[in-house]
Amino acid sequence: MNLVHEVEALLFVADQPVTAGQLAECLAVDRADVDTAIQTLGEILSRGSAIQLVQIAGGYQLATKPQFAERVTKFLRPQKQRLSKGLMETLAVIAYQQPITLAELEAVRGVQCDYSVRVLLERRLLRDVGRRQTPGRPMLYGTTQQFLHYFNLKDIQELPELTVAKAQPALDFGDRAELPAPVAEALGPLASS
Amino acid sequence: MLKLPVAETSISSLGIVAPPPIQVECDAFSGSLATLFEMVRRHKVDLLGVPITPICMAYIRYLVELQPDQIDQAAAATVALAYLVEQKSWAIIPSLDEGTQESPDLDFVDPTIGEYNEVIQAFIQLEESRDQLFFRGSHVGDAYEIPFSLGQVSSGDLSRAFERLLRKAVPDPPEILNKPRRSLSQMMETVWDSLTDDFTSLVDLIPAPFTRSEAVWWFLSLLELIRHGRALLELGDDDVLFRRGYGE
Repeated sequence: MNLVHEVEALLFVADQPVTAGQLAECLAVDRADVDTAIQTLGEILSRGSAIQLVQIAGGYQLATKPQFAERVTKFLRPQKQRLSKGLMETLAVIAYQQPITLAELEAVRGVQCDYSVRVLLERRLLRDVGRRQTPGRPMLYGTTQQFLHYFNLKDIQELPELTVAKAQPALDFGDRAELPAPVAEALGPLASS
Repeated sequence: MLKLPVAETSISSLGIVAPPPIQVECDAFSGSLATLFEMVRRHKVDLLGVPITPICMAYIRYLVELQPDQIDQAAAATVALAYLVEQKSWAIIPSLDEGTQESPDLDFVDPTIGEYNEVIQAFIQLEESRDQLFFRGSHVGDAYEIPFSLGQVSSGDLSRAFERLLRKAVPDPPEILNKPRRSLSQMMETVWDSLTDDFTSLVDLIPAPFTRSEAVWWFLSLLELIRHGRALLELGDDDVLFRRGYGE
């Protein structure tokens, strides 16, 4: 039996992402061989199949190619449950600040978040990851594998970069001698700093 | 400015002890301490125009002359006066609206919610592109099973709509003995009457205020109507919406 076919068979029956380590253990082969087989399988599928191999939520999984999405949607009629703006905002803050308490989340958003958190917990996009050892021992929340799967991310490192505004640098007045005399006088110590 | 009439027992029918009738007379207000307390609570009197020190002095004088059996009234006066002092304190604290400088020590969260806008947009795009992919076994039904079709609405959506409704409900009053109970069919008629041909959320459907029991009755009746095709539902932005069905 060809290792590529064996990997394909396991990925075909898997209903969640499978890691290369799990495949290697199940097939009793070296991890390096599995990596090679996965790469080969990916190339074969990308050339002539409606299925593709995707790296998602820390593992590998077979999925339909985007060009067949319309047909598959018509067939499966999946329940569209897009996240609302509020839920998306809650999820974004938790994804970047995890582990985070409800109070910290509310401090960032400026609104009550208990409902959003409960909905996201129900949808398994969030999970509680422990308690902070401070008075009251508040619950800490973090994202799940389902979160990575929902946004088609390989791992948490793949999150879009969060651009945080930097504090404006102090104005550089250059050499005081170059400033016109009235300006330099008006600026006083600022100009020389 | 202030006078102290003879303290008299003033216990209301509810058993609440009113503050003793310490009279307050000034430009902004004229009346008893209890009235002033009530007016300030209702924002009918601006405390800035009412000097508090003479009221406190009158209160202390009242305490000195207090009879041992008036301890409850003294306690009520303390509560009223403490409230007035607190309100007056807040009123005279300068506010930022009056052109004062912001404190440099204000603790802002970092990053602020506005700084997440870009990544939220990125998340929305990722969500859209992810919708184009279909995985084996990822389209399993809801954890709750309802023995009839809800169309595009899942049982989870429905349970969340019900939860939202319960959050708006007021507690049930004590149960009245021999209270006539309504049957489910009667309740279904009421619910059907309130449904219109436009889609409405469950919360907007029930006349407020409503108790938890009423919320449960409405929800059960609505489920029955859906089962009979007499109510239709669809998923709105973030809530389930209902309208009349005609058994089609």
